[in-house]
Amino acid sequence: MIDGTDESTRFISRRDLLKLAGTSACAACLLPLTGCENLWKRQPAIAVDRWEKGVCRFCGTGCGVTIGLRDNKVVDVKGDEEAHNRGRLCIKGLATRDILYSPSRLLHPMIRKNGDLERATWNEAMELVAQRFKDAIETFGPDSVAFYGSGQLLTEESYTANKLFKAGIGTNNVDGNPRLCMASAVTGYTSTFGKDEPPGCYEDIDSADCFFITGSNTLECHPIIWERIQDRKRSRPGATIIVVDPRRTFTTLHADLHLQIIPGTDVALYNAMMQVFVERHFIDRDMVDRYLSFQEGDRPRSFVDFKTHLARYSPERVADICGVSAAAIREAAFLFASSKATMSLWTMGLNQQVQGTASNRLVCAMHLLTGQFGRPGATPFSLTGQPNACGGVRDTGSLAHALPNGRVVTNPTHRQEMEDLWNVPRGRLSAKPGLHAVALFDAMARGSVKCCLIMCTNPGQTLPDLNAYRRGMEKAFLVVVDAFHPTETTIVADVVLPAALWVEKEGVKGNGERRYHLSPKLVDPPSEARSDLEILVELADRLGQGQLITARTPQEVWDEWRKISAHSEYNFEGITYERLKQERGLLWPCPSETHPGTKRRYVPGEDPLATGNGRFDFYGKPDRRATIWLDHQEDLPDPCTPEFPLLLNTGRILEHWHTMTITGQTPTLRSIHPDYLEIHPYDAHVLTIRDGEPVIVTSRRGEIELRARVTEIVRPGTVFATMHSARHLVNQATQAAHDPFSKQPAYKRCAVSVRRKAV
Amino acid sequence: MSRLVFILLTILMEVGSCASSTQAAGTGDMVTSVAVFRAIGIAAALVGIALLFLVQYVYRSRLSHGMYHRLLLIGVFLLPLATTWSTSATVMEGTKSVEACNSCHVMHPFVNDMTNPTSPTLAARHYRNNWIAKDQCYACHVTYGITGTLEGKRDGFRHWVHYITNTYPDPIRFVGSYDNANCLACHQQTEKWSRVNSHRALLGEFATDRIACITCHGPPHPLPKERRAQQP
Repeated sequence: MIDGTDESTRFISRRDLLKLAGTSACAACLLPLTGCENLWKRQPAIAVDRWEKGVCRFCGTGCGVTIGLRDNKVVDVKGDEEAHNRGRLCIKGLATRDILYSPSRLLHPMIRKNGDLERATWNEAMELVAQRFKDAIETFGPDSVAFYGSGQLLTEESYTANKLFKAGIGTNNVDGNPRLCMASAVTGYTSTFGKDEPPGCYEDIDSADCFFITGSNTLECHPIIWERIQDRKRSRPGATIIVVDPRRTFTTLHADLHLQIIPGTDVALYNAMMQVFVERHFIDRDMVDRYLSFQEGDRPRSFVDFKTHLARYSPERVADICGVSAAAIREAAFLFASSKATMSLWTMGLNQQVQGTASNRLVCAMHLLTGQFGRPGATPFSLTGQPNACGGVRDTGSLAHALPNGRVVTNPTHRQEMEDLWNVPRGRLSAKPGLHAVALFDAMARGSVKCCLIMCTNPGQTLPDLNAYRRGMEKAFLVVVDAFHPTETTIVADVVLPAALWVEKEGVKGNGERRYHLSPKLVDPPSEARSDLEILVELADRLGQGQLITARTPQEVWDEWRKISAHSEYNFEGITYERLKQERGLLWPCPSETHPGTKRRYVPGEDPLATGNGRFDFYGKPDRRATIWLDHQEDLPDPCTPEFPLLLNTGRILEHWHTMTITGQTPTLRSIHPDYLEIHPYDAHVLTIRDGEPVIVTSRRGEIELRARVTEIVRPGTVFATMHSARHLVNQATQAAHDPFSKQPAYKRCAVSVRRKAV
Repeated sequence: MSRLVFILLTILMEVGSCASSTQAAGTGDMVTSVAVFRAIGIAAALVGIALLFLVQYVYRSRLSHGMYHRLLLIGVFLLPLATTWSTSATVMEGTKSVEACNSCHVMHPFVNDMTNPTSPTLAARHYRNNWIAKDQCYACHVTYGITGTLEGKRDGFRHWVHYITNTYPDPIRFVGSYDNANCLACHQQTEKWSRVNSHRALLGEFATDRIACITCHGPPHPLPKERRAQQP
């Protein structure tokens, strides 16, 4: 043993040791095949074959995503680190990995026969649609048919539908859900700058020192933008956040100053803030002298007139109208005007009001008057609700009054330009503005619109004063193209066509900051579903308009469209599909393929369309000056009375989107219910309502049942319900009164009464 | 024999006091576990060498055969064993520190960002608000329990192998899914966390790491393009 000759007592022979070592080495190499890779490194919770870049399906923030595919199915979605959202996604964005495989996907066409929707072939369904449209056009004229689109359609789809109906069929009855969402922002921008779309961009958040967030619950409705605002605050704690909101939302919890105003009193508040600007000499005189003009109605006004107008809005007087203290108004005005760079952000709280346009342009006016404009961080900026309301609908002019790139149907020069660009005979485009959303469904109820094609939206739930307009939908021949069934709209349709969703089709989207980015096709649509563009092209062929719709693939349509844009101040000819495949989107104007895109409009040196050596060039206006409007706070419709003593405000929550047709089916989100009515403890006490009790909310138009949530989030005298749920349609109570310029309905305010449900 | 024990004890005390004074000079009055482990290791090594020298060359003739072998056993096996244990304990403890992570140059942008008082990243906010008192890198990159420690050490070892063999990708990226348990251990008990509906609805997804906290609340560190921009 000592000399090593005793073989029998050895623990292991040399040969065995070598064998063992060899086997161990092989085992280590084969580790990945055995499913034990995690012994060497961490593994992803969801296994993915490949990752592709894309764009989120949901809101107007337009976050970049990377989409994980396995066996040609979407299995995972992450934020794209290279995109503006820096890898972040909200909970809805994360849920997009499940949306394609929802149990409520519509898989084949359906036709209503004997009162019920029955399965049909594509040929049968399209034949019927074309025949009914042809009959209506021949018998009652082109204005008897209509298209009702969506800010969720791809740009190519909205553009094609707009061209087909306006230049082909010859009707301006082309509108869509952006009318319910963004129309007041459009009229606000166009009346101030002459051109639609925000002058700034998301990057301004990184430089702003004061955020004036008004009519926006940014934390819940645009969470990724909110995180960017928070990043700025974290880097520079001195940055201030002012929030104007009738509710004490999650956003307001992070605010330095919260003005909890009475719904609908924005115009008075902004006028009072501007009065403080004048009083405390915060007015940028150079702006007033060289870059601004003043107007009231049709009449031009001077700066002196403007000051006289504001004199009626002292903070002390407005405090009573708005229900906040004069000191708070003065402080907000001081913070706004004195910061190095102030950025305003707003959305539905401003837009969905009877004075939506006025509110929008007054916020722009506050920036222009104080010179908080056109520098990094200093800009007015409207947030958008839908992923392609800006690019798809506003830029393509797919609204009843509009033509592409900021043109309007009532302007003969604009019509002629578009007739030439679309290569149709002069006079083809109708000079009569079409029917805007509410008027369109009213016309259906009255019988003057016979057929309507509805794509990618759910007006059966989203229209205000729903009971009145649902009658129109039931009466007209309704063709609904949607990815989901049943929805509140498909159940009243005569023909339902299955649409491709998200990455089942290719196309360009334009987000809230003028960024065009490409959403790629990665998987095939399920069963018989088709892209909305294919459906529109086929409809055009069947209506005999095939020669007009020559671009038939997404890229062909985009190429036609970007070349048309070159004949306008929207010029994005340089944004090609090739560039979009490489980059995370580009901000227009972008006139050439080497142009990097434009962050700030109207600034010579930054905006390729701005000329001269001055600070600004407001080229959208004939005198190249932006307009400050003299708007008064008006009495609002549907006032409170002893019978209807409370004001109902509607809105949304973080976890759900629009009418929940998508998020309501997602495994991760469907357990979150939005069926409640927020009521202040004071009102609940007076009405003897306890937390969690079922209550009936009654307005002058209808009533709904919800469960009371007694909370101090709402002001005394106001109640709040979400617009999401189809189980309790809050829009049966809301009013159809709308802004006179934008025609956008006032969802944010109507008088109601609340009572305990009798058991 | 008593003299042998006296000499060895003297060496041990000298080394111990020397180690603790060095440590005290470096980081104030706090004696860390790493310093204690290191001192024990060095002492054991020095005592072992001294013991072997004395036993072999000075006291051999005075020792009984049995005692000679027992002392050799201590010098050759037991004291080196203590040194080995102390070395691994020192490495295991010492690599928890931010300095240890920062000793590889690829980590500089991460540590620079974490210690930057105006950075908005998750790491920087946890650092500057003292939400994690020490070993800030390690605290979030190791999961609780023995498995977590093993995974953490395995990751560190793998990183080290990649670093010294120059086989790491550029830019470096976190491999696999981040363990939400690290976030939830502190945050889940707070009212601020539980008042968010989706947090409660997504508990199952968090537990399986199919949804990461940092997707909504990140990024924890500067992104590759931001790190590139920082580099001179």
